[in-house]
Amino acid sequence: MNIGKILRERNIIVVTLVCCVIFFLISPRFLSVDNMSAISRQIVPIGLIALGQFFVIVSGNIDLSMGMASVFFAVLLGVFFGLTGGVGIGLLAVVVASLTMGGLIGVLVAKLKLPAFIVTLSALFMAQGLSGLVIPRGQQIFLMGGFFQFAGSQKIFGIYLSFLFLIGLCAAAYVVYNHTRIGAAIIAIGNSEENAKLAGINVDRVKIGIFMFSGLCSGFAGIMLSTRMGFVQPGLDGNGLLLDAIAAIIIGGTLIQGGRGTIGGALWGIAFIGIVNNALNLLNVEDVWHQVFKGVVILAALGVNWLLWQSKQSEAH
Amino acid sequence: MTSTVTVNPTAAKAAISGLTLRYLVLAGLIVLASVGFSLANENFYSLVNIGILLRSIAVLFLVSMGMTFVMLTGGIDLSVGSNVAFAGGVGVITLTTTGSAPLGFLTAILAGMAIGTINGIFIGRLKLSAFMVTLATFALARGLALVIYDATSINVSDPTFLWLGGTSWGNIPVVIPFVFCVFVALSVLLYRTPFGRNVYAAGANFNTAFVLGRRPERSVVWIYALSGALAGLSAIVTVGRVSSGQPWSGLYLEFDAITAVILGGTSLFGGRGRLLGTILGVLLYGIIINGLVLTGTNPYLQSLIKGMILLGVVLLDSWTQRGKAA
Repeated sequence: MNIGKILRERNIIVVTLVCCVIFFLISPRFLSVDNMSAISRQIVPIGLIALGQFFVIVSGNIDLSMGMASVFFAVLLGVFFGLTGGVGIGLLAVVVASLTMGGLIGVLVAKLKLPAFIVTLSALFMAQGLSGLVIPRGQQIFLMGGFFQFAGSQKIFGIYLSFLFLIGLCAAAYVVYNHTRIGAAIIAIGNSEENAKLAGINVDRVKIGIFMFSGLCSGFAGIMLSTRMGFVQPGLDGNGLLLDAIAAIIIGGTLIQGGRGTIGGALWGIAFIGIVNNALNLLNVEDVWHQVFKGVVILAALGVNWLLWQSKQSEAH
Repeated sequence: MTSTVTVNPTAAKAAISGLTLRYLVLAGLIVLASVGFSLANENFYSLVNIGILLRSIAVLFLVSMGMTFVMLTGGIDLSVGSNVAFAGGVGVITLTTTGSAPLGFLTAILAGMAIGTINGIFIGRLKLSAFMVTLATFALARGLALVIYDATSINVSDPTFLWLGGTSWGNIPVVIPFVFCVFVALSVLLYRTPFGRNVYAAGANFNTAFVLGRRPERSVVWIYALSGALAGLSAIVTVGRVSSGQPWSGLYLEFDAITAVILGGTSLFGGRGRLLGTILGVLLYGIIINGLVLTGTNPYLQSLIKGMILLGVVLLDSWTQRGKAA
């Protein structure tokens, strides 16, 4: 493998490591164990949304609702906690609600052939509305006690439990994506729905499954969000989470036209976003610049992916 | 994107009567909605309130007309709301540093066009999906707006700069005839020029349009630039309306515009739709939103209703389309 090829195929790893070195040189605290540990906890909700979004994007769709939906699910958990004082029913409600929502989106996209971005855009607004309606206006619910403490700050061998959960889910997704027929079917649908159909793949069912998984990931992200924050309120920045997650996916080399992408790349993308978010705070970059930076990063990554894809196409011919 | 470019005359006739029917239904609903809200709130029908209503949806008219062009090509522009804030910021800063209102107007429109052109190049030339590219510029433009304003609003008192958005002739806000002029100009552009035919061609079938030498990739760049320019124009109106430039102005405007355009009968898949439908769609949607605000509806309930309206309209469209195909 020559250097050019490494740069082309593993560019995200190179960029992430270079960023790490630069941030370390500016602020040595960056590479401290405490800070790395903090990053690993911060990226969990973004990582979960990115994982769900990964499958959606590989299949050639998008789920714009995931950020706001996770805020709604966090609020839902909080409301049930407030009502019952426990988390059991709340967790169950979140899982059921997130699977239902994903399933409904999937049916609308797969069976009625509605464009995913419109369906999920309206779902985004409904989730935002619902998150403000299930909780009295202007209120926050504080989440205290066993589960939130445990899921939010428990460590095993010095690693946050929530981060291990993310890694575990990614590992499971990796196996499904690379070693099962479902993974192959998702890639086939992303490449060409018609061909996938001709190959005997039940396209509708796979699509509904993908959206159910992305819904479930929103639910998990909501749970993790609530445990990390210690309180929930409807005004949490769901769209910011969504943008971070999509940025992570694109930076990870996933082709937005669908049909190509790796879980490993997505993980590096998530790591990159986590590191950059952390560094922007650590280096006292003003908040107003964060969003500019993200917009530029997404556009740049889109451009770079396009160039790499273009050069690959011409190599193939 | 799969339909053919050649149109068979009877089908065209059926499509036109279908659209006419839709416009009649929309007009009926507009009457119905205004009657409903006037019963709920006796101030609704006053001439003053109609002026306020039209002024408050003037921006939606402008942005939605741009969105119509975009959606006729089968695309989407999620960046317009942020773009309104960004272009407004550029205009206001130019005004406060140079003191020249015309220069402020010009830079606002150019700033809006710049974001639009970035969208257009990525979507038209690089063939990347519109929602992804405009989602990036949605973040970028909002971020730039926050940077320009340093996250606080800036008061504007220059009468020339505020004229378009803030002045009224009697009960008629100046901006209403202005919106009408823009509508006429864009109608001429869409129905009477080769550019307009290219818009429809690019939306009906991009590849066929390409083979026919209509240069759809070039049209797409211009269409997004147009959408951006209209966002710049909306920024001027927005600043004029509230006498200040605000970094969070135009929030969720793209969502309102998309809903209004779909309500007006423009196909999500491109190639089908008219500006008149968008005008009716904006009117109906604007009356509903305005009515919700006037009746003091919980903002979160408003969000929920907005989401349900969009999904409902899209579902209804797919259902009626299905009926036609069978």
